[in-house]
Amino acid sequence: MNEIVKTAGLTKLYKGVAAVSDLNMSVRKGRIYGFLGPNGAGKTTTLKMLLSLIRPTNGEIEIMGRRMEAKSRIEILRNIGSLIESPSFYGHLTGAENLRILQTLLDVPKMNIDKVLKIVRLDNQRSKKASAYSLGMKQRLGLAGALLAFPKLLILDEPTNGLDPAGIQEMRELIKSLPTQFGMTVIVSSHLLSEIDQMAEDIGIIAKGKMMYQGKLEDLHNIDRNKSLEEIFLDLTGREQSL
Amino acid sequence: MIKLIKCEFMKTRRRYVFLTALTVTAAMLAWIYPRHQSADLIRLGWMANLYELPLINSIFMPLLSIIVSSRLCDIEHKGVMLKQLAVTKKRSQIYDAKLIYGLIIMIFCLILSWGMTITFGYIAGFEGEVPIRLYLLYFLFTATPTIAVYILQHTLSLCFKNQGVTFFSGTIGTFLGALSLFFPQLPWLRRILVWGYYGALSFVGLFGWTKENRYKQAHFEVMGIDRNSFIILLFICIAMYIIGREIFKRKEL
Repeated sequence: MNEIVKTAGLTKLYKGVAAVSDLNMSVRKGRIYGFLGPNGAGKTTTLKMLLSLIRPTNGEIEIMGRRMEAKSRIEILRNIGSLIESPSFYGHLTGAENLRILQTLLDVPKMNIDKVLKIVRLDNQRSKKASAYSLGMKQRLGLAGALLAFPKLLILDEPTNGLDPAGIQEMRELIKSLPTQFGMTVIVSSHLLSEIDQMAEDIGIIAKGKMMYQGKLEDLHNIDRNKSLEEIFLDLTGREQSL
Repeated sequence: MIKLIKCEFMKTRRRYVFLTALTVTAAMLAWIYPRHQSADLIRLGWMANLYELPLINSIFMPLLSIIVSSRLCDIEHKGVMLKQLAVTKKRSQIYDAKLIYGLIIMIFCLILSWGMTITFGYIAGFEGEVPIRLYLLYFLFTATPTIAVYILQHTLSLCFKNQGVTFFSGTIGTFLGALSLFFPQLPWLRRILVWGYYGALSFVGLFGWTKENRYKQAHFEVMGIDRNSFIILLFICIAMYIIGREIFKRKEL
């Protein structure tokens, strides 16, 4: 089984309007899959469907060879770490206390808290209240929460949003290290082509809820050698949004 | 489930939910006690309490429910934590754990105020022995509407990000519930509102009270217990729990 995530005809309608339409996604094991698309293209909706946070109107989801159903949902999700939209945390609790709650819920060893705090470089800030964290630290805390169970699959929705250039680089390096260091598969969404270009190995481009391209990133470069990657992306997405 | 409830306890660290609940309970007790100063009320004290407390409970307990449920659920909305929780545990478990923890706080406050009511009776020198059977019945008939009101508030607090919705609907309901107690000729009014059951289940009546003599020739009597209202309320509790849990399960996060 080479594919860790597979969707077939995934569709989500909101009041008859398609946010995601007939999406066939295929993510290979051990790779970083960049999920790229302009704002409002349907990236977050797709990722939320993968995590069962919203119900698909139509279509099927298969993760780790198992069909996502009400019965199997929690068991499948146990192997997935996620960071969707904004980082989740209790502002009145410290970083370590936030992770302690997740650790109790996930039923993973307590020492994982120290491990993930070290990975995201928050070990010196563990006793600080999360509300006092900078945005970059909050993102890292969110990532620590996603990593806590050392899942097989990590789903990150625009993890570099709102970060300064140094924070973006730090996050990028961290994400890039995950497949080799821990054997994880990472799905990372972004509306920034440069971001995905530097991070991903495989890519899925979505626009207006439809998958416009899916494959290796290097193959995307080869579509038209006379055009820049930006131009190829704009051609695929209908030139409706700026990068 | 124990782990989930333990997590609820951990989450409320530095939120002072128990302290807030105790403050509201203390305010309620401070409102009740100064009323029992006259010799007549000391004579009739035990029964007078059972007559007056349902009205006071109909105001304070729903307000306490609003505060507790809102404080417990607001942290999830503020920290965008529901999404995180929903990928680790079943939504029904999340709903149940938070509900149980909230009810523990509510019942604790209820036991405290019940105990304090009896203790105060002894300190004030109420005549006769405490009618313990009636006081236990009173506890049951206060706890059940409180559970029903709390389930409703819990669902609203959990499903609406804007806690103003919870406060507004809870306050209106509390007002209508208390108001329904002033219309004893319309018993159905108390039954259609979940907040009205504090009155619907009150079982002590006042007789012989006049404006001139006040409590001088007054006496209290145990009226018939409204079993039908109690059964209806139990069904309401179950229905609200099932519906609330289902709404939360279906909610898109």
